[in-house]
Amino acid sequence: MPAEPFNYDYAPYLNRPKIVWPDGKRLAFWVAPNIEFYEYAPPPSAARSVWYRPEPDILNYSMRDYGNRVGFDRMADVMARHGVRGSVSLNVALCDHFPEIIERCCELDWELFSHGVYNTRYLYGMTEDQQREIIRDSRDTIRRISGQSLDGWLSPAISNEATTQDLLAEEGLLYTLDLFHDDQPMPVNTRSGRRFVSIPYMMDVNDVPVLNFRNISPPDYLQLIKDHFDQLYEEGAESGTVMCLPLHPYLIGQPHRLWLLDEALKYVTAHDGVWLATGREIAKWYLDHGYDDARSFIAGVNGRAA
Amino acid sequence: MTIAASYFDYPHRGPGMDQDRYPYRRLARSPAVAWPGGAKLLVWVTLHLEHFPMDMPAKPFLPAGGMNRPGVSVWDYTQRDYGNRVGFYRLMKLFDRHGIRPTVAMNSQVAVRYPFLLERIVERGWEIAASGVDMGHLHYGGLAEAAERAQVEEAFGDLRRLSGQAVTGWHSPAHSQSQNTPDLVAEAGGLYVADWINDDMPYAFSTRSGTLTQMPLSYDLSDRKILYQQSLPSSVYAQQVEMACRCLRDEADTRGGRILSLSLSPWVAGLPAQIRTLDALLGRILSTPDTRPANGEEIRAAWTAGAAG
Repeated sequence: MPAEPFNYDYAPYLNRPKIVWPDGKRLAFWVAPNIEFYEYAPPPSAARSVWYRPEPDILNYSMRDYGNRVGFDRMADVMARHGVRGSVSLNVALCDHFPEIIERCCELDWELFSHGVYNTRYLYGMTEDQQREIIRDSRDTIRRISGQSLDGWLSPAISNEATTQDLLAEEGLLYTLDLFHDDQPMPVNTRSGRRFVSIPYMMDVNDVPVLNFRNISPPDYLQLIKDHFDQLYEEGAESGTVMCLPLHPYLIGQPHRLWLLDEALKYVTAHDGVWLATGREIAKWYLDHGYDDARSFIAGVNGRAA
Repeated sequence: MTIAASYFDYPHRGPGMDQDRYPYRRLARSPAVAWPGGAKLLVWVTLHLEHFPMDMPAKPFLPAGGMNRPGVSVWDYTQRDYGNRVGFYRLMKLFDRHGIRPTVAMNSQVAVRYPFLLERIVERGWEIAASGVDMGHLHYGGLAEAAERAQVEEAFGDLRRLSGQAVTGWHSPAHSQSQNTPDLVAEAGGLYVADWINDDMPYAFSTRSGTLTQMPLSYDLSDRKILYQQSLPSSVYAQQVEMACRCLRDEADTRGGRILSLSLSPWVAGLPAQIRTLDALLGRILSTPDTRPANGEEIRAAWTAGAAG
């Protein structure tokens, strides 16, 4: 176990090089629906218990299955109404189980990136070759069903190995969501030195921790999203910020919560300075326009020549 | 820790589900359901009557409301028992006033222990659904089939004998099933289960002994989840139910009949502080256009008739 991830250097949120998003926008807003498949009878993991109750844990399995049967279409309808595309955090096996869901994602011009094969298969304990197999499976599956390239990554159930970021960079991905250390994109240090970035994926406004772990009410969740947005929008005038809204159709697509997504998107899209983007678009823009300046800034801050 | 090559075997990776209880269905692409009498939204109120023995086991897991004190759990026992003594009658009067005849999903031990309470249910013609023996007898993976069969048969048997009703519905205590529960419910003459929380509408559910209907009993929107487990105030509970009502009612205009499930427990919703909020809430819900209450067996029968036709 390394003492730190070793994927980034210290970069104070002060006097950073100015990021300006396309068309002079100040905040890049993106929505990341997690479209997931949790297995009914997954193989056991030495690292953690997979389900919460003795299997079959039909309560928790069926709770998540709701997203694919009911919640997805409701969520997608609301997003489409506001002209907001999704960047799908995808358990790629879902392409084989429910291709019609992916078909609709593609019709809506959503990005697909990988969230592993199943949300019940973890990277914990995997060799580098085993992790590469998951990455390549993801790339092949997404390419086959959508023609898209695999550019982004969120580890399944946020299970990481110490080398995961190195491997993602070596396999040619553009961005990772596993690092929660910043409100702006950041260069990621990996052993190959390839240009690879982290994009903010905010756990603090993710519906799973908010609704399931922290028991925040839907009205308070809406206020949390607005407060989060207001602050980042203001700061974005100084240097462009990123707000991610990570969602799960099994939670936000419930009839008692859908309204808050509608209200949140109405609020965000009413601001002129918002760039409605996908993860891939943010990563590419940053690699072309922000990455090199950030590297120089970070080197200067940490006392080394740029 | 090393990961075996078998961790990369995906035996069910292909079209559809990874178990054989039901085929995949996408609600937004499903045929519209028309409820009898032209209603767009049926309000299914379920009242959960439970007996929590003070010596109930904490394994394999403690259900919400279970005995949680470090010693003799008089606190928990009496708070749960309050529901069957006081909360039930408060809710009974409230339902009478609103013309609601709920489905009473009850542990059979409640009927055995409190015949007076059972009489109030039967004389009102409220539907009784079986909900296990008591909260100390959970259904869970690993429970021996013979033992579970005895629990299922005792629950259906006592409730049918004491109430005189057909008792066609089943709700497992704490939404927990073993791999055999639906099969055993079908073999005991059950027609519907209400444990899985993956849909807002009924669907056909396969067992080794015929097909059940799986009914959409709310979990996240239950009083127990919001008021007890999440410790949120009643205003938040009411707001969420109202938004669900609005969402489902709107959806019914374009996608066919819908169901609003209100899952209530007398030891939660029957507390003094909840009643006025619930009273006002029920009034608003039932004044929604084309909305009326219905019980589980009515909904099952209507859905089955529509699905067959």
